[in-house]
Formats: sequence, C-alpha cells, structure tokens
Amino acid sequence: MHVRAAERSSIVGIFFDDQPLLARTGANLAASLFVAGIRTLRASPRLHQPRGMFCLMGSCQECLVLVSGQRKLACQIAVTAGLRAQRVAKTGTDD
Amino acid sequence: MNASTRAVPGACDVAVVGGGVMGCTTALFLARAGMRVKLIERDALCRAASGVNAGTLTLHMTRARLVPYAIRAWNMWMATDQWLGPSALVRAVPGLSLAFTEAERELLRARASARREYGAPIELLSRDAALGVEPGLNPSLLEAAFCATDGFASAYLTGRAYHAALREAGVQMLERTAVTRVDRVNGRYRVQLAGGPSYLDAPRLVMAGGVWLEPLLALLDVHIEVKTLVNQLIVTERMPPIMRSVLGIASGLLSMKQFANGCVLIGGGWQGIGDRKRGAVETLPQNLIGNLQLAQHVIPALATGRITRIWLGLESETADALPLLGELPGLSGAWVIGCVHSGYTSGPYMGKLLAQAMLGEAPELPLFDPARLRRPPPSHVTH
Amino acid sequence: MTEFDLIVLGAGPAGISAAVVAAAAGLKVALFDENPAAGGQVYRLPLDTSESTQAAEERVGHQLRQDLAASAVQTFFAHQVWAATGDYRIDAIGPRGPVHCAARALIVAAGTTERVVPFEGWTTPGVIGLAAASLLLGSQQILPGRSTLIVGCGPLLAAVAAKTVANGGTIDAIADLASVGEWARALPAMLSCPELLRRGIGWWRTLRRARVPILARHTIIKVEPVGERLRATLAPCDAAGRPRAGKHRTALVDCVAVGHGLTPATELTRLLRAAHRYSRAAGGWIAIADQDGRSSRPRLYVAGDAAGIAGAAAAATHGASAALACALELGGADRSRLERLLEAARARHKRAARFGRAMARLMALRAGHVDAIAPETIVCRCEDTTCAEIDEAFQAGACDLNQLKAWTRCGMGPCQGRTCGDIAGELLARRTRVRSREYVGCFSARTPLRPVAIEALTGDFNYEDIPIPTAAPI
Repeated sequence: MHVRAAERSSIVGIFFDDQPLLARTGANLAASLFVAGIRTLRASPRLHQPRGMFCLMGSCQECLVLVSGQRKLACQIAVTAGLRAQRVAKTGTDD
Repeated sequence: MNASTRAVPGACDVAVVGGGVMGCTTALFLARAGMRVKLIERDALCRAASGVNAGTLTLHMTRARLVPYAIRAWNMWMATDQWLGPSALVRAVPGLSLAFTEAERELLRARASARREYGAPIELLSRDAALGVEPGLNPSLLEAAFCATDGFASAYLTGRAYHAALREAGVQMLERTAVTRVDRVNGRYRVQLAGGPSYLDAPRLVMAGGVWLEPLLALLDVHIEVKTLVNQLIVTERMPPIMRSVLGIASGLLSMKQFANGCVLIGGGWQGIGDRKRGAVETLPQNLIGNLQLAQHVIPALATGRITRIWLGLESETADALPLLGELPGLSGAWVIGCVHSGYTSGPYMGKLLAQAMLGEAPELPLFDPARLRRPPPSHVTH
Repeated sequence: MTEFDLIVLGAGPAGISAAVVAAAAGLKVALFDENPAAGGQVYRLPLDTSESTQAAEERVGHQLRQDLAASAVQTFFAHQVWAATGDYRIDAIGPRGPVHCAARALIVAAGTTERVVPFEGWTTPGVIGLAAASLLLGSQQILPGRSTLIVGCGPLLAAVAAKTVANGGTIDAIADLASVGEWARALPAMLSCPELLRRGIGWWRTLRRARVPILARHTIIKVEPVGERLRATLAPCDAAGRPRAGKHRTALVDCVAVGHGLTPATELTRLLRAAHRYSRAAGGWIAIADQDGRSSRPRLYVAGDAAGIAGAAAAATHGASAALACALELGGADRSRLERLLEAARARHKRAARFGRAMARLMALRAGHVDAIAPETIVCRCEDTTCAEIDEAFQAGACDLNQLKAWTRCGMGPCQGRTCGDIAGELLARRTRVRSREYVGCFSARTPLRPVAIEALTGDFNYEDIPIPTAAPI
C-alpha cells in the first residue's frame, strides 16, 4: 500500500464482492479500493467497458457501488470495520 | 410591429404552426399528399409536451370516448417504420391499472367498463393473475385491469424522428421562429414571424400550438379557453430489471414504466408550478414525494433506486376535456388540432385524421368541432 | 422548517468565510455541505490530522474550520442539497433524513467541477482527475500509484507532481498544454501574491531536484491498459492543445492524473433562474454578478470559484464581500462598520484574484482543443455517447445543447451533464459556426441537484396518507 507515515486511524478488514481487503477506518472507500488494486468497479451502460473512480468528489458518478442494498458513490463512503460493498448489477441497453 | 418586409421564399399550400406530434404528423401527411408545407415552431421540434411526456401508449388513461382514436394511434405507433422512419424506440408491453382499496376497485371497474364500451380490450384480473403478469407488484393489490394493447415510446426521441421524416417529405421547417400575428390578405393567411424573414402567405393554416393555442387562436380573433396542466415527471438512473409492464392506478394518477436501458419513468399528472408564459417553474415538494410514494408502493423494488431528474411538462386541456380538431368557425381554410387527453398516445392518428379532412376526404372518425367552445372576446387579453 | 436570514451553500473557503462573516455581522446563518466536514476540495479534511502535516494549505484549512466552529453558524454537514425553490427554500437529505430550511437570502459557494477534454482511453480505470490525485495525496494521504503521469494544464500539475515526489512517489513526466511563454506572461500577476508564488517555485524546485521531465506544449492522445498498468501516449501540441507533427512519447505508469481546468458549478444559480453568461477565462458559464457576487435575482449571491475561477485565496475574500453586502442589504445594524469591512474585503479580493485569474487563464478551455477528440472517443461517460454520435446529431439538425441531449442522451446520465456539458457545448459551438458559444446554451438545470435515493425521500408511509390528487375525468 502506498501509505504515508504517521497513521492514527486503524487498519480494518472490509469486503468488496466478498473479497477481503485491508483499509483504514475513515478512509474513502473508492480511494481504498483503488490502492488495493481494485480499480474496475462497474461496466459502462452501452459499450460495457470497465469503469472506476475518476473524480473522487461525488460529481462523475463512476464509482457507484452497492452497500447494504443501497446504491451509493464509493467516494462518499467512509471505511468502517466490516464494511461490505458489492459491484452494482448490470443494467439493460436500448439497442 | 413594423410592416412586413420579406416573405419566406417558396410557395406554400399550408402553414402549420406548432411542431409537436400533432403539428408534425399533420404536416407529414399533407406533404405526402402533395401539398407544399411550411412548419413553424418557436423552439425546436417536439421540445414541449411531445418531447417531455411519459411516452405512455395506453388505453387505461385515455378518456373513454377517445379510445377508438387511441387504438388506431397505437397501431400507428407500433408500425412507425411504415410512416415515420427510425422510431422513438416503441415497445408493446401489457398495461395494468391497479386497485389497492375498495374505492379504487369500484373506480377500476367503472373505468374499465367505460373503455370496453368504446372498444378497448380491457379485462379484469385477480391479484394472483396480476402478479403473474407483473411479479414485482406489491402483493397488497386487490384487483387489476389488464390491456394487451399497451406500451411506451421514448418521448425524447420523437423530435429527431419527425425531423428526419419531415425533411425527407420536403416540409420546410422554420424552427426557433415565433408567430406574432396573422392577417387575411387577398384571401390568404399572412403569418407574421419574429426574426429572420418576416412573413409567409398560405391559403391554409393549421394551429397546432399545444398550451399556446389560446393566444394563437386569439390572433385569429377566436377565443377558446385552454387550460395549462403542469405535469410532473421523474426518472431514475439505470436500474436492473424491476418491472416489465406499464403500470397505473385506478384513478389514473400514476404511470410507470421501465425502459430497456433500465431507467424507470414515473408520471401520472401530479401538478407542479408553472404557466404557459413562464413555462415550467418548479415542483411542489409534497407532490414529488406523493408521486414517488405511490410509485414505490406499486413496485417496492423501486426504493433502492436513485432519481436523477425531475421535470414538468405543460399539457393542454379544454373546458370539456375533449379535443379541438376541425375547421375554425368562420375562417375557411384555418384549422386547429390539440388539447387531446393523452395527446401523445393519440397524436399520430389525430394528425392523420386532420390531414384527411383538410384533403377533402371523409374523415374516418368524427372530428371535434372547436365552435362548441368559442367564447366572445374577453375585455382584456390573457395569456 | 427552520427559517434563517441567510443560507450558504457549499463549505469551501468561500462558503466558510461567507458564513462566518455573516454570523459576525449579526445574521442567523445556516451552512450546507455534502461532505462530512468543512473545507471543500482544496482544504478537504485530511484523514490523519497529525502534527506531521506541515503543508501551508492544511494550516489554512485547519484555521477555516476552527473559525467556523467558533462561530454561531448552524452547520449541516453530510447534507446533500437536492432542491432550491424561488422563495429560497432549501431541501436536503442528511444522515437523519430530509431537512427543509428557508432564508431571506442565499449565497451559493458551490465551487467547481474539474474539466477533462476527452481523449482515447480516458475512461480506462486508473485514469483519474488531477483534482482526484490531489485529494488522494492530501485528504487520503496515499499515492495515486508507484509511477504516475501528470497531464493537462494549470497550477495543479506542479502541485500534484511535487506532492507526489515529496511523499516518495515517482512522476514519469508532466505534460503541460501551456508553453513556457504562457507561464512567463502570468508572472506579473503572480507577483501580486508572493506567498503563493513562493509556494509554486518550491514545487518547481522539488520537481527539478527529482529530475521530473516537464514537457511544455504536450498533450495526451491515448491511454491503453497493459495488464495492471497503463500505457499513455503523449504528443507535442499547438497552443490550442491539438496534436501536431513531432515525436510521440509513451509512458508505462500505474496512474494517469489528468485535468484541463475547472468549470464553475452553476446548477443552483441556473435552477434559480439567475442570468448567466459564458466566459472562457472564468472557466465557462457563470452567473452575471457584480463585484460582491450579487446576481440578477434578488438576495441571491454567488461567491468563490462558482462565480468565476479566481483561486482559493480569492474565494475566501469573495465570500466575505458577499456576506457583508448581503448583511447590508438585509438591513444589518452598524452599517458604517459593515461598509468599511466590505471595502477592506474588496481590496483583499482584488489582490488575491489577480493571481487566481492568471491561473484561470492558463486553465481556460482552449478554442480548438476539442477538435482533437477522435470520433470514437466517448464524450458522455454516463451514457457512452461518442464524438461521432454528436456529429451525427449535429448533421441531422441538432443545434443547441438541449436538443443534442434529446437526440443522443448525452447529458442524461446520473452526473447530470457535469462531466460532459462544457465539452459537448464546445463541440456543438465549433460546428454551428455561430459567433457566440452562448447560442448553444447549457443543459437545463433541474432538480434533484444530485441523484437522490428514492427511499430517502419517501421515508415511512402508509398508502392512505399519500395525497393522491383528484381522479382524471373518465
């Protein structure tokens, strides 16, 4: 992990699509997944291309994930111990 | 207003004012019958009601008396490649209207029965049968009315489809052009335009201006009150499949559908704030939440979605809630079309019907004489 | 529903400053922000607020948060504002459900979104915004990757690169659209804020020491995934950012951080129907406003970068000006004191804005940059709309942005046109050959201002309580 010195928050276990990972409490989920090497979070709607975190400020909507059945932006979720997040299900296309 | 300076070049047999589904279809059929048509639209084609409505193609919400028109229009929508070209993504799916209370059940039966009398193939279904058609339904429903001839289009694609068809048919489209006055000059209608070439002359005129018909008809000194409804629509982000039919409730105050792209569109005529002068202004929070609560009650899985956009569309309505479709009183060669409940559903057929009448053919179904609603000129002009 | 004198929307430097100054002037003030703490993007609360963080920026942010905490401002953090109505009623969703507030006046301090001009492969995971990279380093205290390529324009290039190097990361190269001459021409304005200039020189020194290649007049033309890494191709470019003949350079990196400037966030002011104009130098569409941020709508102010890019330092002073002007307008006591404070704030703003606006000019969307977008390149990420599809729609007759949206779905996705709007508008304007970018317009502003969860709005309810209107006629 690319982590700076002086850590005050603790390292905890979380899950993404049932894959166990380590992250720091209070850290941004999208950033945590990014540094853990999980950079593809979903597929684009029509061309089904891989997509992941882009703006990190809740604007681009690319980092959409599922947490406790709710669709949320990973960049707006703070890591807590035992957090379980999943990829969103695929959606249909017009063509 | 200054005196007219230049005429729009090119001869014109008919000027159509208003580029929504009514005006565009009328223009299309007239052009294909050989007339030289000019279509005037103050914004862009199908940017008002025709482009922002829910796109529902249902008989459940059409007024009973308009069912025969809606059925013929439904058939046109299902065959757009035959007359419109690349479609607005029309899909035929069954439509269910639902009752959750005893009062709604009574209303459901009355509405279904009224529509059946006019030829709508609507039958009543038990709760279990309705769940068979639409498994995602709230199982607390009591009864449903089912219609196989139902479906939806993507209303926002309508403008592009008509644009291409009208261009191919040789209709001259004057978009972003408002009409400021109409005079009679040598037996023709001189339509004054704002901006660019100043006027055009035509022996025939069609007023197809939607909620703006009241001020437009007033230009011809015909005074008919046209009420403006401000209908709320809500769309979600793309979601995995949670429904597969078109849904409504007994009172007619819900419409819901999920597009192939996964977005769910919720409507039903809940009102917002706006008028024909300012356009849509803003939503009423209690109506937004009520509309959503109703939708979520019908399809509980909706709760997990997020809404990405809310907008308001202006719908026109006459005093007796029946259409304007016919020649204007005392004005030979001037016609009006509009104010049709569920106008998007019936629009293509209404336009075809008007074209028939204007071409001197006996219209297939009765028109709706605008003279019945004519009033004396008001002491002050209201828009 | 709670009533305030003033609601401030956005708790970045402009919003915090506005709220604190307004409260000190005796107004009853509410401050809303969707983040869990104040600071906006530039001063985002670091994950670890340990004393080892020495960066000047973090100290400024810390001070702003302290000032806010010490004030009488009622704060609503982690609240997403999704609607605002003409009577200045605000609807938001917070951690405990829906919240409604109303006020006599509003100050919109909504900041900006980062602009990225699309290029082949820009949607590949691992390509992130420059501002995103900055947040990773500052607030999250992690490196974007072992090796990162920095691309685009403006001061963030050096800021992100230097910070990465200072934290032990590798920068493969910096590709800057600007020429050395453009930076030199900005120097006089930069002298108006010596502390900021010193900071910039510090970054440049750090980069020189680390021997980071800085490629002036270079642009990125392609990114391709190579296993877990990214291969990026850089090309020399003209002043407009269009590739020109010359040697291509490839880089194999973990992360590409790209940013082509900032666009002011105008969704709120457009929703409230304030008048707007398009200004390339200011970053795009902005509300027409006077020096104190007074818009064309009564008691609606806009402050900070949302009013036109002028930088974080200017944002704080602008927020102060707007708050003082607002307090005077609402009939605050001790008018002469407020007027003196306003004069002082305006003077401070003028100085700070000189620097910020020079930076804004370096970040402005270059006329012609969008010409470089290849037909198959995605323009609307949410809907996968390509440049070719936009062209097709234009050929078929679409000539304003809302019509383009209806014909291609560009802008219909959950980001509500924030990512693609400026680019799509520019593409259309370049094709219509009309004189003003304003003709093409911008996407109509609607509620919700951000996507909002349905269940957050519907809450717990019974069917009987739903206020169903009168039934339609049979």
